[in-house]
Amino acid sequence: MSLTVDERWDLIDRISRETVTAGVYKETLTDVIGEITIKPMTGIPVVIASLYLFWSIFGSFAGFFTDGFFVKFFDQYWLPWWQLHFPDTWEWLYYIVVGDPLADNCLEAFGMLTSGLFVAVGVVLPAIFIFYLMLTLLEDVGYLPRLAVLVDTILHKIGLHGYAIVPTILSLGCNVPGVTATRILETRKERFVMMTLLAIFVPCGAQLGIMQQVIPETMGLVLLYLVIGYFVTGFVLNRIIPGKSPEILMDVPPYQKPLLRNVALKIWMRMREFFTSAIPFVLLGVLMVNVLYLAGFIQWLSCTLSPLFVYWFGIPEATVGPLIAAFLRKDLAVAQLSVIEMTWYQMVTAVVLVSIYFPCLATFVMLLREGWKELLGSLAVLIVVVTVYGGFVHLVGILAGVA
Amino acid sequence: MRLGSVYFALLGAVTLACGFVDLMVTLSGEYCSWWIVEVPGDMFRGGWGGLIVLFAGLFYISSARNLSEIHQLSKVMMGSILIWLIAGCDIFARITESIPGGDEGWFNSMEGFQGGCAPPYFPAMLLLPFSLVVIYYIRKIE
Repeated sequence: MSLTVDERWDLIDRISRETVTAGVYKETLTDVIGEITIKPMTGIPVVIASLYLFWSIFGSFAGFFTDGFFVKFFDQYWLPWWQLHFPDTWEWLYYIVVGDPLADNCLEAFGMLTSGLFVAVGVVLPAIFIFYLMLTLLEDVGYLPRLAVLVDTILHKIGLHGYAIVPTILSLGCNVPGVTATRILETRKERFVMMTLLAIFVPCGAQLGIMQQVIPETMGLVLLYLVIGYFVTGFVLNRIIPGKSPEILMDVPPYQKPLLRNVALKIWMRMREFFTSAIPFVLLGVLMVNVLYLAGFIQWLSCTLSPLFVYWFGIPEATVGPLIAAFLRKDLAVAQLSVIEMTWYQMVTAVVLVSIYFPCLATFVMLLREGWKELLGSLAVLIVVVTVYGGFVHLVGILAGVA
Repeated sequence: MRLGSVYFALLGAVTLACGFVDLMVTLSGEYCSWWIVEVPGDMFRGGWGGLIVLFAGLFYISSARNLSEIHQLSKVMMGSILIWLIAGCDIFARITESIPGGDEGWFNSMEGFQGGCAPPYFPAMLLLPFSLVVIYYIRKIE
């Protein structure tokens, strides 16, 4: 049996009449609030407030555990216990496991079981936990899609669309899920630009946590340099990389109450990743850096790269060690930088360099999984950016009279 | 609803003034304390937080007319949410700073904790109870 077009429409009408009930739409307060958080005029103050909420709670929570309890535990009990009880039969083993025997705090000791555990558990763990809790709440309330709509115009200037804010925010927790999340972008060009920007300019939660701990006064300036670099490099890449950046239609869900079970599950999944990959990497990082120090490799590299570091970047040659550690864990590198004697601006430059220099090993592996061509491209961009941007930060310091 | 309009217009003016003072004090770079009010002078709480208090004031003032209309009420709601957010962060920061004992032990004494939570307070914390009035109007409109 075949139906004519009119008969088909009649049939559709009949089915619709029987199955669809039409009611009167009544706008609720939640709908209107959803609307005003999406319009630039009223939405931008809300973005500014959300970011404030994020950082304020992040700082208070991480500070509560790290400064309030972990610093005391690790410096007054953990470090002295290891210094007293670890056998010093083999000096090199003591150096690797416990670190400097004269150190009186865990940041300076730099042993696997002292600084390694302090950084991973005492500093990074509370920071990562609160970061993921806040991110999950924003996600489950339904705020992230609104944020994506609001930043859509700005991100189009660097060849991305609003949803690129999702990998960026995820990378502020850890670059690994951030790189994976670039798959939501449609074209190869968009994915390449996003991955490169994440690997270079977006510091992870662990690094933010340690920055909050060791350079709280100048952290704002470091972040400002990274934000400027993110947009300038994105703008340049958008101009020189061939390919398309298409428009997208976004589905913005209504605001809703987060479910405790979903929040707990998401945090658990993200924290599990931290326990299984980040903590071993931190310990491995301390081990490798200590071995390289003992073998004299870092001293040799410091001398070789000294002109670049001292004259071009304006930082002491001793920062070469932390930069090598940064390949394994960037949080570890910032912790190492904090014990090197330098001016506050040199510290800012060094932390910016640690952030933009090579992605950490875990991110490197993720980039490789996305394709070796993308990885090589990102690395080429990275070398140019580190050299140019590092010199630029130094130049700004010279012009401002602080470098 | 007319009373509500007047109330939120006044609250908006006070909130706007608080935000403005926050920003001015931040620009001067010094803390300012008077009676139970303390205006932070740092870039984060004073500058960034002050800007948000200023926005909250603008939300209140822009919704002063025709409060019974849902779009206007939603702006009042948004202003209150911004105040709750700043005040909530300030309260959370005070509590987390008052619990650890510092050099004297793991936990602070009860007196120490109470001292940490005692006045003076930042402007947003003082505006918090006044911003809660919006809940009454939401119930009324529902």
